[in-house]
Amino acid sequence: MTVGLNAFLIVAGLLFAIGLLGVLIRKNTLVIYMSLELMLNAVNVALVAFSRYNGTMDGNLFVFFIITVAAAEVAVGLAIIVALFRKRQSVMVDNLNALSR
Amino acid sequence: MTATQSLLIVLLAPLFSAVVIALFLRRAGKIASVISVATAGLIFAAAVAAVQAAGGAIVHDSWSWLTFGGFEVSMGFFLDDVSATMMLMVTFVGFLIHLFSLGYMADDSSPARYFGGLSIFMFSMLGIVLADNLIMIFVFWELVGFSSYMLIGHYMTKPAAAAAQKKAFIVNRIGDLGFVVGIAYAYWHFGTTDLEVMGQLVGANPALINASIAALLMCGFIGKSAQFPLHVWLPDAMAGPTPVSALIHAATMVAAGGYFLIRIEYLFPPEVLSIILWLGVFGAVYAGFCAYARRDIKQILAYSTLSQLGYIGAAFGLGYPGIALFHLITHAFFKALLFLGAGSVIHGCHHEQDIFKMGGLWKKMPITALTFLIGILALCGVYGFSGYYSKDAILIAGGLHNSPVAILLTFGALLTAGYMGRLFWVVFFGKANSEAASHAKESPVVMAVPLIILAVLSVAGGWLGYWPDALGETIKADKYELKNIAGYDAMHHKVVLLGTAAWVIGLLGSFFFYGRGAREDRLEKTAGPIYRFLQNRLWFDEVYNFYVTRIQQGFANVLQLVDVILIKGVLVRGSAGIVGLVGMCSRSLHVGNIHGYVYWFLAGLILLWVTAIGILG
Repeated sequence: MTVGLNAFLIVAGLLFAIGLLGVLIRKNTLVIYMSLELMLNAVNVALVAFSRYNGTMDGNLFVFFIITVAAAEVAVGLAIIVALFRKRQSVMVDNLNALSR
Repeated sequence: MTATQSLLIVLLAPLFSAVVIALFLRRAGKIASVISVATAGLIFAAAVAAVQAAGGAIVHDSWSWLTFGGFEVSMGFFLDDVSATMMLMVTFVGFLIHLFSLGYMADDSSPARYFGGLSIFMFSMLGIVLADNLIMIFVFWELVGFSSYMLIGHYMTKPAAAAAQKKAFIVNRIGDLGFVVGIAYAYWHFGTTDLEVMGQLVGANPALINASIAALLMCGFIGKSAQFPLHVWLPDAMAGPTPVSALIHAATMVAAGGYFLIRIEYLFPPEVLSIILWLGVFGAVYAGFCAYARRDIKQILAYSTLSQLGYIGAAFGLGYPGIALFHLITHAFFKALLFLGAGSVIHGCHHEQDIFKMGGLWKKMPITALTFLIGILALCGVYGFSGYYSKDAILIAGGLHNSPVAILLTFGALLTAGYMGRLFWVVFFGKANSEAASHAKESPVVMAVPLIILAVLSVAGGWLGYWPDALGETIKADKYELKNIAGYDAMHHKVVLLGTAAWVIGLLGSFFFYGRGAREDRLEKTAGPIYRFLQNRLWFDEVYNFYVTRIQQGFANVLQLVDVILIKGVLVRGSAGIVGLVGMCSRSLHVGNIHGYVYWFLAGLILLWVTAIGILG
């Protein structure tokens, strides 16, 4: 039995929705960050599935780029969060509202 | 030296002196006064040299000053017999007054400022005299206004002096507004403001004469020469030092208005001339009355100056610019003498100016008294004195062309003799009426010498036959023209008879009332209502004051309301309010919470999607 494209897309869509909800609801910057990564990987799943069913390599190519960029982004982003914690002793979003003041 | 070089010295030396005094000698009053007086002497010598070098020929040099596209403003000299006569009078009388100031201002606290002011005044005045075009005249016209402002307010701690200097400056602005519009109109009409070129244009085509231009330029004369209705500043200007009154407000600056008219006499049509004539006649008689209700010696002389400026205006209005110039020159001599005499009296009496607090000075100050008497006789037009020749000519011209004018001006002469007699008897006769007057002493030599020289000129200044050939051609031409009119001899006899009667009656009448000296004014005591009526001077100051404080201020208040509501309220505050409102709304979007921004981002994304798939069109 072969798994159809729709199944992959549903999984990818669910993963993306879970990630988006996480970004919208969670208060911890670190968890928001993880949710962002989840959304990226949901996109990766969709791209790989498209690639497989179209028989081309375009989607796979994109996925490699996304993984590379995400790795770099994680390095920078985690560093920022660590620096933020050192400065504020907190990574909760509610405490990081200096822009409004 | 060529005439041009000498004229450059005449014009620039006083400027140089003023600059040196203003920049380096502010605290060195002695040196400043010496430099200023030496400069005044130098420019008189240079003026004589210039007139000799010119040898009666017209000198006209012009240099480009500013160029705006096709419009060029030039500076230049235009030396003809009129300006030569005026220049010699200004430099010579100016020099004597500088000399007199050395004595008068000896114990002043800031002589450098005073003498610097005199120098800048000489520069400005000579600029008017020598100018070859209307724009240059206007530039120097404003400069004399500035110097006059500065010197009237010399005693800057006195509120009256500060008020007087402002009044003089502001009242002159009113006349100058007409003047500057007239210059623009003249440039538009003639394509030039050069005096000589305009004269040639008008000479070739008399249809070019334009009454509006003449009337507008006349406004400058009315302001500067203190003609009715802008005469109110001159009596107040007496708050300045007395030599300043002699130089600026008697001999030169107030005469500059008349001189300016004489320079452009070819521009005047008969209608404008008759306006000038009647303004002059009214001023001559009106000022004569006002002088009776003044106690301040300088104010009496100021009204006398107003009256004589009226005669100058009347002479011009009758169509005899030469005779106006003649009276202007003789008036400069005897009025400068009278003011300096008054200065000597004031100096002797320790700055007492009320004539009823003087008295009995004839024996204490013989030189001053004698020269003052000569000045009065010249002013009254006693036969043989300079005033006789010029005033006589004006009265004859009036008698031949317009007898009401002659009658009114003869009456003015009677008034003149009366108030000058009152002044003379009260100041020099009777007993000393105050502590200061009883200790009066004759003034020092440096003050007496100018008095004596001016006294000589007040007598001899009218003897036209002895004037150098280069001077007074216009005067002689007008006199000659007058003599050739039928009925001249009969009119001459009549005028001599009536004129003599006027001064005899005036002086004797005042002697009858004031001859024994007086401690208080007999007119005030016996005829109070008349005295107070004269004292109020027809309420011109009050009317102007009412106009400014009520009508003009009211109008300004309305304008201010419009300004506050419309411009400030609606335009400025309104536009700022709209921008502020937009700012407030967009600031409320700026919550600072990252989730807020995510929702906005989502909303933007949805909007973009909706637009992209075409739901919004």
